[in-house]
Amino acid sequence: MKKRLIFLFVFILVVAVYFLQRESLPTYSPSRDYIDLEAELVEQFILAKDSSVIELPAGHFLFSQSLSLDNKSHLTVKGQGMDKTVLSFKGQSSGAEGIKITNSQNIVLEDFAIEDAVGDNLKISDSDSVVMRRIRSAWTGEVSVQNGAYALYPVLSSNVLIEECEAIGSSDAGIYVGQSKNVIIRNNKAFYNVAGIESENSTNVEIYGNEAYENTSGLLIFNLPELTVYGSNVNAHHNKIYNNNLTNFAVKGSIVSAVPKGAGVIIMATKDVKFHNNIIEDHKTVNLAVVSYEIFAADEDELGQETLASEAQARGLRAIESDYKEDESYNPYPGRVSIHDNTFSNANFLPTFSNEFGLLWLLKNKASIPDIAYDGIISPDGSLQDDEHRLCVRNNSNASFVYLDASHDFEGFTSDRTPFDCKLNE
Amino acid sequence: MSKKRKGLEKISLIVIALIALTSCGQKEDKRTAPVARKANIALKTNTIETNALKQLSDYGFFKGQLAQLNPNENVYPYAINTPLFSDYAQKARFIYLPKGKQMDFKPNGPMDFEDGAILIKNFYYPNDERNPDAGRRIIETRLLIKEKGAWNPLNYLWNEDQTDAELDYVGKTMAVDWVNSEGKTKKLDYVVPNLNQCKNCHNANNKIVPIGPTAAQLNQRYRSLQEDINQLDYFKKLGILKGLSTAEAQDKMPIWNDVLTGSVEERAKAYLDANCAHCHSAQGSAKNAGLYLNYHENDQRRRGVFKPPIAAGKGSGDHQYDIVPGKPEESIFMYRMISNDPAIRMPEIGRSVVHQEGVDLLQQYIKGLVEESF
Repeated sequence: MKKRLIFLFVFILVVAVYFLQRESLPTYSPSRDYIDLEAELVEQFILAKDSSVIELPAGHFLFSQSLSLDNKSHLTVKGQGMDKTVLSFKGQSSGAEGIKITNSQNIVLEDFAIEDAVGDNLKISDSDSVVMRRIRSAWTGEVSVQNGAYALYPVLSSNVLIEECEAIGSSDAGIYVGQSKNVIIRNNKAFYNVAGIESENSTNVEIYGNEAYENTSGLLIFNLPELTVYGSNVNAHHNKIYNNNLTNFAVKGSIVSAVPKGAGVIIMATKDVKFHNNIIEDHKTVNLAVVSYEIFAADEDELGQETLASEAQARGLRAIESDYKEDESYNPYPGRVSIHDNTFSNANFLPTFSNEFGLLWLLKNKASIPDIAYDGIISPDGSLQDDEHRLCVRNNSNASFVYLDASHDFEGFTSDRTPFDCKLNE
Repeated sequence: MSKKRKGLEKISLIVIALIALTSCGQKEDKRTAPVARKANIALKTNTIETNALKQLSDYGFFKGQLAQLNPNENVYPYAINTPLFSDYAQKARFIYLPKGKQMDFKPNGPMDFEDGAILIKNFYYPNDERNPDAGRRIIETRLLIKEKGAWNPLNYLWNEDQTDAELDYVGKTMAVDWVNSEGKTKKLDYVVPNLNQCKNCHNANNKIVPIGPTAAQLNQRYRSLQEDINQLDYFKKLGILKGLSTAEAQDKMPIWNDVLTGSVEERAKAYLDANCAHCHSAQGSAKNAGLYLNYHENDQRRRGVFKPPIAAGKGSGDHQYDIVPGKPEESIFMYRMISNDPAIRMPEIGRSVVHQEGVDLLQQYIKGLVEESF
């Protein structure tokens, strides 16, 4: 009898553990019938004539190597629609990207899907005047750390337009614009990614009409140290960013692996940011955070539950200090950030306790999730009122606000928005 | 009662087994290539018509049997100190200079060439590394041709009979085997690069450039002669190199696997220069990563020491830094050198197997770095 009970107990335990661990990770599983037209299409790409169109037929085409365009101009690659023309790199053995475009000008990519590259699905570097239109870039199956990093990745490029695209399942960022200039990201959808949309070290970026949902974080406006180019002047408006609470499945060590799940929007270390007329909803950590590189780079693991404030802060700062010495041209603080006329709401009553911010809200904010949080870390000899550090928050319906005062062990933590009730660059 | 219990246990076991099976099934390996069917789909072609020569023999680089690679006039064999690892393929290198043309000596970077110059690199596997007379199989011949002030890459694929090689733009994967120096039969899938992959490595500030023929790489005994003469000095003597004082006054790249030519650190730096720096330099394709591995780069952080990854993605392998002094097992460098996964491995192209001897050298190098000195 006793044996039987133990057996039953073990049985129930196994079943319970199984169902509990089966965290419902989202899955994108379109049905596919792969066609091998690899040699012909690779040749079309490599030997494409300038001022011509590469017409991709309908079908699901499988490749074992990257497709690449180098040093082309006025070239259009056109499919028969993102549901009809699929370029799949599933199981590729050569090259890290799906499509790689380098040193090119006036390139238009439209109406096809890119899937399952081992690295980035579409990487465009050192190019000028590039359009991505109605491209669906996805990793199929359940989201996983095995998925490639970036779905749509223009980098070190200028005059970039990304519109009506979809980014699905990136283990880093879906729509990721890095170290580029004059960029428009509009009317796209990003879901099941770690970061839905990310502007990194880019200048003159307009992000509007996009929808980001069911990512770990919806929108990141980042400026990172030790890169060849720094960014500023980002205008994000009329986007809908909601329910980005997906478990972070990024590779540890990558910058987005430090993004807490349930952070709708993070503006980090970027100057001249306008964020207005957006709808931000239902995030379990914070709807929007404005932070310096310092607080962001503080490793999650080092912020234990008991060492919420000072210790972690000190450690985080120390870890980063060496970066500054090396990189004098980098400014780790956000500034001239204007957040106005947005609509915030949150259906979650309790924050997630999976990260230090949730715990901070529990201790300091009556366990309520703020709509807007500002870490308040500025340069040591500066003041919040300096033009360089200015943050203005106004007219965001009834958005709740917290100032963390993170550089003083959260001593000045307050939900008083008055010092930030100002107008800037509107 | 006892029967009932057994029944229950059985059912439970079956359920557990089923769960175990289904949960294993869920973790499908995303890296497996599915099967694709062949289909006849006509493409509208918009491709460039090139006037490139179709056969390698059309150039007349070699006399007699082509596969003997016996150079004609104005074709000069050369060798470099530390080559790029290319899946254990061996390389026979030649410079073609139109009659009367010279190379212009440059102390740093590759020599300067005039229009008409062609760099010729043949990739081959000896049938038996222990026995040079056992023959070889030449896979491909890569050319860099200087025309109108710019370099253009072209690639020629050798036929089965080794009678000629044909122009190829799209690359190919082919099975090769050979017996290595230890008498072991080795097999691998050799990947011939496509045209754009050539450009990916031969790229400095978005211009195509030669990589190998630098002063430091050429600075060695001329191997094609019995006579003990330095390669650079010999080229000067031949009248095909101008502007050189003496080879002795120039930099010399250590030979990565010859302990007499440098310390572990020097040879590791030479290895990194040859295998990584064509992309990982301020001018190369990977400049956005901020990792510079040129032989003369002395900034340890730029060389990777305690440098966090920028664009490594899953290539970081959950490690924090490119190099952790003294700890190869925690260094991203090693993680990427010992991986064959196309998303992780470095170099990204040109290698499909691990270069164990190179890995050993880098292990030694990282082990020998002392943390306190950084």
